[in-house]
Amino acid sequence: MVQFQIFWEYVKQYMKARLAYRLDLVVKFLTDLISQSFNLIFIIVVFGHTKQLGGWNQAEVVFIYGYFLLPWAIFGTFFNLWSFNDRYIIKGELDRVLTRPVHSLLQIIMESMTPESLIGVVTGLAVMGYGASQLNLDWAWYDSILMILFTLGGVLVYGGIFIALTSISLYTDSKTDIQPIVFNVSNYGRYPVNIYSRFVQFVLTWILPFAFVGFYPASFLLDRGDWRFYAYITPVVGLVYFSIAVLLWNRGIRHYRGAGN
Amino acid sequence: MNAIEAEKLTKEFQIYQSRKGLTGAFRDLFNRNYRTIRAVNEVNISIPQGEMVGYIGENGAGKSTTIKMLTGILQPTSGELKVNGFDPHNQREEFVKTIGVVFGQRSQLWWDIAVQESFTLLQKVYRVDNQKLLDRMIEVLNIGELLDQPVRKLSLGQRMRCELVASLIHQPSLLFLDEPTIGLDVLVKENIRQFLREMNKEFGTTILLTTHDLTDIEALCSRVIMLDKGNIIYDGGLTKLKQEWGEGKKIHLELDQEISLEHLGQLTEALPVTWSKNEANTKLFTASLQGNSVTASEVLSLLVTSGVPIHEMQIQEVSTEEIVRKIYQEG
Repeated sequence: MVQFQIFWEYVKQYMKARLAYRLDLVVKFLTDLISQSFNLIFIIVVFGHTKQLGGWNQAEVVFIYGYFLLPWAIFGTFFNLWSFNDRYIIKGELDRVLTRPVHSLLQIIMESMTPESLIGVVTGLAVMGYGASQLNLDWAWYDSILMILFTLGGVLVYGGIFIALTSISLYTDSKTDIQPIVFNVSNYGRYPVNIYSRFVQFVLTWILPFAFVGFYPASFLLDRGDWRFYAYITPVVGLVYFSIAVLLWNRGIRHYRGAGN
Repeated sequence: MNAIEAEKLTKEFQIYQSRKGLTGAFRDLFNRNYRTIRAVNEVNISIPQGEMVGYIGENGAGKSTTIKMLTGILQPTSGELKVNGFDPHNQREEFVKTIGVVFGQRSQLWWDIAVQESFTLLQKVYRVDNQKLLDRMIEVLNIGELLDQPVRKLSLGQRMRCELVASLIHQPSLLFLDEPTIGLDVLVKENIRQFLREMNKEFGTTILLTTHDLTDIEALCSRVIMLDKGNIIYDGGLTKLKQEWGEGKKIHLELDQEISLEHLGQLTEALPVTWSKNEANTKLFTASLQGNSVTASEVLSLLVTSGVPIHEMQIQEVSTEEIVRKIYQEG
């Protein structure tokens, strides 16, 4: 509860600072919207050439993409760890964080979150709605609850992988470029996995489980039973990956060598 | 209970050494050479509650590393460490509630938000609500007018005073100051020192101060700990330090008429004094006193009774800075 109060305090402060740069905020909204439209246009262009993609029609793929935007937006809001190495390791701000009585990872999440990214949830729901409107979905009452659980699971998967990658900075001084690579792989999760080779499917399920962020839960919501098991374990996979990431982080803090003066 | 109790505190770093040239770089790819460096070597520190201690040493002597271990940022390689009764690194979240930290070269405040907002946020983070203390600190350090400005717009001196308030918002019993007056003008320095003395007197706040500016230490600390290459080379009172090492006072004289160096030398033959002459102005002389056995007044009374016409005189004490330099040179 106390943690939540502190969290809320940070949100308020962030919004105050953020609103001071109005133009910046508008530009951020626009770029987010543009990149999402491009992804959508890409899907439409692909389906201009083919009616089916691995047994999926255009409306279904659009729906999957829309669903993917939900965990994606929440992830982008809270796990904005891109500049961690520069800001906290090289500039040494981690020293300050470590002298405050709140868990270091939580502080960094609070300091670098961007609540305005949550607007992506609205975009995602709209895209999902558009896809669903062309399909005849059987939406049960518990589907909404499951969707929320799946979304949170997806956020944890995403967050876990990126926290784990970010903790590398705590072990080594040198910059690693692994984050952008993995980030590219993450995009694979928003298309039906059965269009990929077995190897890629395996990686997306058990190594870098991005399929749990988009495809598996979305396919369940699309009433496709083939991946039901995977959809159900989404929250579990999320919890496991996130726990491993936090352990790696805590270990990394022990290894942290501090920035030189 | 002592505020700080460190026994054989040691911190080692693994340093990766690159080989020379392209072939060397290629070999580094497969087989890296690591060298272990001892930044802090079995250091014993014991500081009772309420003391103000200066911690000095040259760049790279291990000062910052020690401070980072004491504040819980780094985990010691070996040794015993208890600060305010806690193991700083392993009990970090509980421990840091009892300390305040100011790193002069890095801001502890949030860059983009107003000072007042930073304070409010810190009060929430530390779960304290002692507005009276905060108001008083704001008044003493005279930062009332800065409260609604974002930290990035403050000057160094303004920021530093805000940092101090921020570090004391939760009334810690132990305060770490790393270069708190670096780059500040005299008035701000004095203001800060006055404030620290007040906090120490009123709340018994223990203060550990690292600085390059020894006037800070002279103004605040009764005890200094001196570090060189990871080892403590002096730990004791400032006055004792001056007595032991503070030899070599100088007397600068301006005479009414020219006198030869030999004549002056003869007059003070009995005393351990060497004379030198200013090349540009032949009426200016400097007497260098060796050791502590001779006082300036002894020299002067000898000269006056011998009828040397003194026009102006100035006695130059050895500054702490010179003492420290001497200690480092002689090891």
